[in-house]
Amino acid sequence: MSAELAQQIVNGLVVGGMYALIALGFTLVFGLLDKLNFAHGEVVTLAGFIAIFSVNMGLSIWLTIPVVIILTGAVGIIIELLSFRRFTSKEGHSVSALSSFALGIVILEMVRLQWGATPVQLDIPKSIYISGTVLFGAPIPWIKFAIFSISIFLMIALHLVMSRTKIGRSIRAVAEEPTSARLLGINTTLVTQYVFVIVSAMAGVAGLLIAMQNGIVTSDVGFTFALKGIAVMAIGGMGDMRGAIVAGLLVGVLEGIAFSIGWGGISDVIVWFLMILVLLIRPAGILGGGRQAETRV
Amino acid sequence: MAEVLGAKDLHLSYGPINAVRGVSFHLDEGETIAVIGANGAGKTTIMRGLSALIKPKSGEISFLGEPLGRRKTSDLARAGMLHIPEGRGTIGGLTVLENLRVAYDIRPNDTAFAAALEPVFNHFPRLSERSSQRAGSLSGGEQQMLALARALINPPRVLLVDEPSLGLSPVMVKEAYQALAGFQSSGMSVMLVEQNVRMALRLADRAYVLQQGEIVLEGPSDDLLSKPEVLDAYLGSHG
Repeated sequence: MSAELAQQIVNGLVVGGMYALIALGFTLVFGLLDKLNFAHGEVVTLAGFIAIFSVNMGLSIWLTIPVVIILTGAVGIIIELLSFRRFTSKEGHSVSALSSFALGIVILEMVRLQWGATPVQLDIPKSIYISGTVLFGAPIPWIKFAIFSISIFLMIALHLVMSRTKIGRSIRAVAEEPTSARLLGINTTLVTQYVFVIVSAMAGVAGLLIAMQNGIVTSDVGFTFALKGIAVMAIGGMGDMRGAIVAGLLVGVLEGIAFSIGWGGISDVIVWFLMILVLLIRPAGILGGGRQAETRV
Repeated sequence: MAEVLGAKDLHLSYGPINAVRGVSFHLDEGETIAVIGANGAGKTTIMRGLSALIKPKSGEISFLGEPLGRRKTSDLARAGMLHIPEGRGTIGGLTVLENLRVAYDIRPNDTAFAAALEPVFNHFPRLSERSSQRAGSLSGGEQQMLALARALINPPRVLLVDEPSLGLSPVMVKEAYQALAGFQSSGMSVMLVEQNVRMALRLADRAYVLQQGEIVLEGPSDDLLSKPEVLDAYLGSHG
């Protein structure tokens, strides 16, 4: 393997982990409510600026993680309350989509009013981008391992919450059979709130990780990553958590490979065309676990 | 005996259709009642009203001595109302064990989960064999067992069962009714709605005959069983 390819694959995995974290949020909300949360991406942007604010207040970058989780989790409650709670009718799907789209823009514009539209430096020691190790001849800074590890850790934590805990069982029950879940004493409103807190906090950590990787935060970062997150959700199968993880890493690595062979300019074309193909050939996603499977059979 | 569930002049509509019109009934502690009627008589609508899945147009429902008011379905479940709906309401994507765990978690319980499982698996050994299988992969009869097992793992104050015999083989129907008889003899208050008139009347202490959303006949099950010609008049041919 050439050093260039190794470098790009590692970059792809690191970025893919972030795509997966963001796509998991889209896919969880879709699995629960059959709705798309278009405010999701701006949580990523907001998290980057929360990180900058916290670091400027003298917090270490690691201590900003809980700060970001708490604040973006709270934003999740607001998103659910303003753009999802009331819209339970048949038309609610498009109303929630429109409302959350508007809310995303409100968040974005508030961020721009506070921090401007130009990139803002994240004030962390530059040394973390330099010290590292060598893989297949490519120098890889430790920070990339740290970022990737945090992404994987969050995915495992989410898996454990969903498969082992009462709240996870409740989320899965409501996603599949909302009426039966209510008859079993599950408060669907509360479960929905939990999901918005979880997905927003995950998007928040993704935003922090993106900021750490780039060393700067730009107000358009959320939009860029949310678009990829939507593609990843569709490729993984809407509502399929495992699919979102696999598709996230796959898209990240595909982009990396495209860059290493000089196709970087068309990497977006590759990703979005892949999404079109997957929707045509495997509408339930690459692993076949998404929602579309049910409507087709 | 104390009334645990009751309805007075209950009107329920299903979209534009007035499916239930002025129905009154009561269920006393430890009693079993049946609401029998043909398909479309409004039986399921009554059940949905009782567990607050639909809001009454008028009339009153009381549960454990309190009016239902604006209480939510999930609150009623936690207060001790277990409604096993048409289609059984098992969660297909969860395993048998997870389904039981969800039912166990409805109300706080002094028994540990493992201990609470024992009577369930004694009563329904099939569920123990299939405990790690997804509920969606079970047969109809096994799903009905899983649904009924909810009443064993964390016994409710009131059990509402919608058409326990629907879609089951005769052997499975018998098994389901045996389970219900077991709940009955343990002192549970049970209300069931059924098209299978004979099975329902044999189990229930009293019954209400529902026709086009109105109660047209009520009385002790034995009285109703002794007048098959009257039942025929209201229900048409039945089992």
